[in-house]
Amino acid sequence: MALLGFPARQDYRGLMTPEPEKFQVALLLPNEERSIEVGRDEHIWDAAFAAGIVLPAMCHQGYCLTCAGRLENGAEVDQSDSLVYFPEDREAGFVLLCTGKPRSALRIRTHQQKQMRESRKQKNLLAPYSWSKD
Amino acid sequence: MPEKKDVQVVKHGDVSQRVGVEVIKARGVDVDLLIKKLIANAAAEFASTYYYYTILRMHLAGHEDYKEICEDARLEDRAHWELIVPRIYELGGELPNDLPAFHDQAGCRAAKLPDPPTVVNILTLLMESERCAIRSWIEICDMTFGKDPRTYDMASRILNEEIEHEAWFIELLAKERDGKTVPSGHFRRGEPGHAPYSKNAKFYNP
Repeated sequence: MALLGFPARQDYRGLMTPEPEKFQVALLLPNEERSIEVGRDEHIWDAAFAAGIVLPAMCHQGYCLTCAGRLENGAEVDQSDSLVYFPEDREAGFVLLCTGKPRSALRIRTHQQKQMRESRKQKNLLAPYSWSKD
Repeated sequence: MPEKKDVQVVKHGDVSQRVGVEVIKARGVDVDLLIKKLIANAAAEFASTYYYYTILRMHLAGHEDYKEICEDARLEDRAHWELIVPRIYELGGELPNDLPAFHDQAGCRAAKLPDPPTVVNILTLLMESERCAIRSWIEICDMTFGKDPRTYDMASRILNEEIEHEAWFIELLAKERDGKTVPSGHFRRGEPGHAPYSKNAKFYNP
């Protein structure tokens, strides 16, 4: 069956190329606040880097906690690319920027590696780079 | 330039402090942080890679070349572990006296046998493990460059080998998964575990 010369069952929605969804992300750096746009499929750390903001990071795999940040507005970050991310991290508001993707507008305090390690240690969870003999 | 007093604060006959530590503190190294990072890197070399690569290489049956290359990386990571430990103690640190605690300090994830344990999955894991190691070691290089030549020398030797390991696994994965040739530029090691940089051995330069 055809309608106006087009096969009726063909889905033409794929031919349209909508703009990729982007979110406003405010980064509360130690000495200033910066705002960047981050795509839905983009890691926050990468977008910051592209905007000239070099945040702490090491493994870039969502494991070592060096890139930790803390959500200030209780919004949602997709951490499915992180190697290790616990529900307790989410409850405490911590996010891993190297592998985190926005799902809404965000307000994030950066440079939270010490705080996130401490939070993990208190809950007896994996906390790399935190062991000392003291 | 640090003042001469940095080598004088350690009193004659005092064994509670080390000039070898005080001089690098005086040059700006955060020694406590450095020790934490070295422990994390030691755990990554020993527990995350050396131990788990032992298992990974067992599952590369039918790919004897891959097996041998995985074995080289495995033994070189053990050589790295052996290099790091003395430096941790020299700096006044120590290893956790508990293996699970040590394992959990690793800065890179454990390279556990992937599910399913296909060749492509194993090579991907090996490549990503080496990448984490490179990032961890260059961090030590950055932290010690121009301030702590002994740790820097060690870290740069290890970094040399981790960079080579990544190149090997890129080459193998590109061919195996994508049918593409991405040369590592390397042709052979000596005997297994050759570790030319970290064992101060001759490297291939015919």
